[in-house]
Amino acid sequence: MNRVAAIKVTGGTLTCLFLLLLPILLPEIQVHLATEILIFALFAVSFNLLLGYSGLLPFGHAACFGVGAYATALILKSVTGMPFLMTILISAVSGFAAALIIGFFCVRLSGGYFALISLAFQMFLYAVALKWRDVTGGDDGMSVTRPEFYLPGVGTLPLTNIHYLYYITLVIVALATVACYLFLKTPLGNAAICIRENATRASFLGYDVFLTRLIMFSFSGLLAGISGALFVVFQEFVATNVLDVHMSFTVLLMATIGGTGHFLGPVLGAAFFMVFQDWISSVTKHWLLFMGIVFVIVVLYAEGGLIELFKWERMRVLFVRNKEL
Amino acid sequence: MDIYAIQAVHGLVYGMLLFLVASGLTLVFGMMGVLNLAHAAFYMLGAYFAYTITIHLGNFWLGLILAPLIVGAIGIGIEHFSLRKVHKSGHVAELLLTFGLFYVIGELVRIFWGSNPLRIPVPGLLLGEIPFMGKTYPIYRIFIIGFSFVILIGMALLLLKTRIGIIIRAAVSDADMVEALGANVPRVFMAVFGGGAALAAVAGVIAAPFLSTYPGMGLDVLLDCFVVIVVGGFGSLLGAFITSLLLGELQSFGVLWIPRLALVFQFVLMAVVLIVRPTGLFGEKQ
Amino acid sequence: MTILRLENIYKDFSGLQVLSGVSMEVQEQECHAIIGPNGAGKSTLFNIITGLYKPNRGEVTFLNRDITHCSIHKIARMGLSRSFQITNIFPKMTVFENLRSAVVSRFNRRLNCTSFLHRDRKILEESDKIIALIGMMEVRDVPACEMSYGMQRQLELALTLARDPILVLLDEPTAGLNAEETRSIIPLIRKVMHGKTLVIVEHDMEVVFNLANRITVLNYGQVLASGTPDDIRESEEVKKAYLGRR
Repeated sequence: MNRVAAIKVTGGTLTCLFLLLLPILLPEIQVHLATEILIFALFAVSFNLLLGYSGLLPFGHAACFGVGAYATALILKSVTGMPFLMTILISAVSGFAAALIIGFFCVRLSGGYFALISLAFQMFLYAVALKWRDVTGGDDGMSVTRPEFYLPGVGTLPLTNIHYLYYITLVIVALATVACYLFLKTPLGNAAICIRENATRASFLGYDVFLTRLIMFSFSGLLAGISGALFVVFQEFVATNVLDVHMSFTVLLMATIGGTGHFLGPVLGAAFFMVFQDWISSVTKHWLLFMGIVFVIVVLYAEGGLIELFKWERMRVLFVRNKEL
Repeated sequence: MDIYAIQAVHGLVYGMLLFLVASGLTLVFGMMGVLNLAHAAFYMLGAYFAYTITIHLGNFWLGLILAPLIVGAIGIGIEHFSLRKVHKSGHVAELLLTFGLFYVIGELVRIFWGSNPLRIPVPGLLLGEIPFMGKTYPIYRIFIIGFSFVILIGMALLLLKTRIGIIIRAAVSDADMVEALGANVPRVFMAVFGGGAALAAVAGVIAAPFLSTYPGMGLDVLLDCFVVIVVGGFGSLLGAFITSLLLGELQSFGVLWIPRLALVFQFVLMAVVLIVRPTGLFGEKQ
Repeated sequence: MTILRLENIYKDFSGLQVLSGVSMEVQEQECHAIIGPNGAGKSTLFNIITGLYKPNRGEVTFLNRDITHCSIHKIARMGLSRSFQITNIFPKMTVFENLRSAVVSRFNRRLNCTSFLHRDRKILEESDKIIALIGMMEVRDVPACEMSYGMQRQLELALTLARDPILVLLDEPTAGLNAEETRSIIPLIRKVMHGKTLVIVEHDMEVVFNLANRITVLNYGQVLASGTPDDIRESEEVKKAYLGRR
């Protein structure tokens, strides 16, 4: 195995080990943060399916996140005894269905048009959630209790315990992320990239641009729905903020700062964003300004995002001995 | 009957303001293909600079002159030092940049002026009300309509009668062709960008005594602008004008008749237009 | 048999009449050249045949099926491929990845999400076969944007063939090539077009008379003349309108 692959495997293994042992290594408040990072990592990965892999920039990506969130909240409030995974599954399907409908109208367009129409749909859903107080609690929102998770052979694990919640979230996010990664390695994933590179050429080669984009959009909505569901369980609360512009902008910041050119870029972006927010907000309440500045710097000077720092060329500089240079 | 008339005038006031902001946005998009999200930040900066100038120098009219100049200069600076850099990376990068700038400016405003709404007093000259339709109506709001109209006429004259105006209109249609014909297109871009910024700032200045200044004002007007340029047509000033007024009236009457649905309605309208006729009611097919 | 038939094609753009009553037939394994001065409507004709534009009047028939109103990708899947005058490839992908994308489409695996692309031997082998045929093995893993213009033109040609089409439309394949590159691409075209039907738009008369066995002359959106190269060489009208000026 060559040096680069060795470094990657070592790094990956260490990261996995760290993630598994995290609740033991870190105090509870950090486990809280880590859970939130995992949720937004999945959300950012779903965003990047559109921006990085399909070349479509949505301004209203919170739409499917919010649909998943409210679906979970409504289930938790009105149905007792539903298995946790079933709740997540229903939210995923809701996100998928919403994306299918929204996408049908959005993916015919591209560029600024696409960005705005996705925003229009999200704002529409936001307005519905805001006004439909009887169902959604409107502005005030609704509180939810974290359910229990039944693990056959072990018993019922109350998710009110943050350690259990962390591990469940870790497993769900890991599975979803791996599924997404494998999905992108299929001919369909390649089709999305071709269409991003040159939609006209792809069309003339027989690719159905609309259908391919719609499938990507729907899958992205499915993953966003899952992250929305996990978010509500984590927060024990749902309000219209899951459907507002700020949520859409937050995930945009995360994915772009992390790097849209690489699969793990958004994950890094989510981690950076949340850690940075946690750290800076204790010093100044204007952490969003610094985040905005980082974002602008990335867009102007470092298009590849923070993940570029981890590219093997740079690692090579760190690990290779002088004699090889 | 008169309550409708009053509402209609309310709608006209906001509609004209919206047009002042949206016109720059639609021109820049038509010319450069860039949807400049920072544009709404220019509106906000205009209001905040006017506040500072009015409070510290005691003169609103000075603010009306200085604030747009400052903001116009900032606009030119942004165009020259950042937008140009990112232009070659494609539309997505441009969108991301203007979005980032909007965010940063918003936060800077929060730092320097705080998060609370700030009131600028209506200038002494325009205080008071005049009789209108059996009731009285604030002079200042009439001033907003009138002043905006004057600017509108000025803009129309500039674009239709002067040489620079013709170049701008041609560049909205086909920038490459205009460059091939010898016009200094980069400089025209810069001028339109800065001019649009200044115009948005003017709107911010005259809106401030009426709507008061608050950090979220940029986002609110931005969302409305999106609806205006989508429905009115990217690059079309006429479309922006008609749609701005329509939107102003919609919000004014919507608040009166269907308060629960007004917000929903304008985004449904935007989505419908994007689906059925993406270039807008008056836009050209790109 | 008649592979392609155009009947009475009319096309105007906001009042500007580009094509007026163009009719044409292309037989199996023919090499049919369309020539004419700039603005005659040649590219528009290609765009109508391949589905980018819809004609205002008239019909396009491919393999006895009416494709006048079919979508671009459906027409491509029927076996009609085209190249572009301005090189239209996937710039950041390597030569291999470019051609592989076309091969994936040929085997109708575009929407397949149950297998890994890099594990598919059949697609891998077919892609390499085309690269070898077109003689680009040395640049197999070079990103397309890093190659010379001439090589990109070659890739453009390869991409057109990778679907193993029945009918190939080449839109000025020698555009931007120097004399030497032009001369070397002629035998390449002849080699790779073996067994296929070819319609080619060209300005370079050497290429036209070297490759074509039928020529249609277009002028101001109308067919001026159509026949064998000799017929065209002899036609007085053509000489007056077009060839005479060269």
